[in-house]
Amino acid sequence: MRIESIRPAGGRPAHIRHHDDLISAKSVSVTLARQLVLQNIDLSIPKGSFVSLIGPSGCGKSTLLKVLAGLVNPTSGSVSIAGLSPVEAARKRMIGLVFQDANLLPWKNAVDNASMLLGIADKSLSRADLRARGQEMLELVGLGDSAHKRPNELSGGMRQRVAIARALALDPAVLLMDEPFGALDAITRDQMGQSLLEIWQRTGKTIVLVTHSIDEAIHLSRDVHVLGIKPGRITESLDIGLPYPRDLSVTEDPEFVRLVVQLRTMLRASHQPGGAS
Amino acid sequence: MSDQPITNLSESRFASSWSQATGSWLPAVILLLATIVVWEAVVRVFAISAFIIPAPTEIAQSLIAQWATLMQATLVTAGEILFGFLVSVLVGIAIALVIVRFDWLGRALYPLVVLFQNVPKVALAPIFILWFGYGLAPKIGLILVIAFFPVTLSMLAGMQAVDRSLLSLMNSVGASPTQILFRIRVPHSLPNLMAGTKIAATLSVIGAIVGEFAGASDGLGYVIQFASTQLDTALVFAALLLVSVLGIAFYYAAEILERIVVPWAPKFSRW
Repeated sequence: MRIESIRPAGGRPAHIRHHDDLISAKSVSVTLARQLVLQNIDLSIPKGSFVSLIGPSGCGKSTLLKVLAGLVNPTSGSVSIAGLSPVEAARKRMIGLVFQDANLLPWKNAVDNASMLLGIADKSLSRADLRARGQEMLELVGLGDSAHKRPNELSGGMRQRVAIARALALDPAVLLMDEPFGALDAITRDQMGQSLLEIWQRTGKTIVLVTHSIDEAIHLSRDVHVLGIKPGRITESLDIGLPYPRDLSVTEDPEFVRLVVQLRTMLRASHQPGGAS
Repeated sequence: MSDQPITNLSESRFASSWSQATGSWLPAVILLLATIVVWEAVVRVFAISAFIIPAPTEIAQSLIAQWATLMQATLVTAGEILFGFLVSVLVGIAIALVIVRFDWLGRALYPLVVLFQNVPKVALAPIFILWFGYGLAPKIGLILVIAFFPVTLSMLAGMQAVDRSLLSLMNSVGASPTQILFRIRVPHSLPNLMAGTKIAATLSVIGAIVGEFAGASDGLGYVIQFASTQLDTALVFAALLLVSVLGIAFYYAAEILERIVVPWAPKFSRW
């Protein structure tokens, strides 16, 4: 694998990037059921950045996210999150997870769902503390007045907002999101993306987003890493130079359109199986 | 659970189930009344002897004449059903919890539970009489072996159907297996458990009657057996009617319990 392909071209000087890396994966390979799922992944994610992982189905981008979350152990290589192993980082509530399915507990209302993981992670918090924190997080995601609604009274987008609130309630350093808007319609998806950007700017969290959507990746992220298949590996990285704050009008920007074309070309290339390098 | 907003859907479903319920009661009532009328007419026209098929009016007469005896027997049987049902549900839940929480024990226990389910349990009634005598105990035992299985099975299904990514979330914050069991798996299994409980309620009625058939000096099962040896078929039918009423009462009690315990569970239209 070519080293220069891993680092985004241009942008910030290398020494700052190195210094501020919150997440770094070095030569990470994962073999699951005798199948090489990820090969030799090197990834540096600076603190406070918004990074997207994009690639064809089966490229292992979800597995990579699980490795970063400490849910899958790399077969070889190492991952560090602020100097800790992913499992240690998760135990210190540094990792917030959001999946495609909101996975809310149907018997709890929005505010109790939002504080549910925090309650397990920190047993010293009282019920009132948890409620207050849950309410605060619901307000952050724009659901302040739906606190007492049960999941079956919420729309798909609202449920996903609760799931984001639940992750943020842990006050994690990094938010790892696996196709969080994949099950939503196009318009809701745009709104959710825009909300996520605003949350990112207000909280300064580091966000790693796995997505299928080229538009979403460019609209939201600072860096996009393209993964290829057979085996899963990072084939290209793209620095999205569009200035923040961004809103949906950015999608009409000529630079946005140029980036879409560029990323689409990269993605097409990533569909070609690559041999072992 | 689907990803669609289902608020409107469930509201309209409730409204339509209500009109459906009132609308569909009528045909059932008409059919029932018609059956009774035809029954009465056939028995009278063909002068069928009361000990073969009693007319509905004769059953009603018997019901009124033997009211005190029948009510006493109903109370005894209802007590057996209630006690046996509660024991079955508790034991069924306990077995399910043990199977899920203790992996190796579960692997040992589950095949045995399934094996035991295939024993024709009605045939155990005489053995239970032999072991426990003629009192309450053999009836409770029989109800237990007949009714615990749907409780265990439905609760297991609910506990095992928890989404993997939800478990990932719990694991990532260091939740213990016991926390995952009681905070996630058990509440998640409640809708299934309540479905199993409704089946157990129906089976408990069967268990009590079978237990009384095998050996009892009281209860509706005893009345049915005693009356049939006396060729008092009208009384048999009167007792059968009360058994059915008990069965329906227990079923709906379980359903009301379900609505209280799991208000979030998906509702099905009822008729």
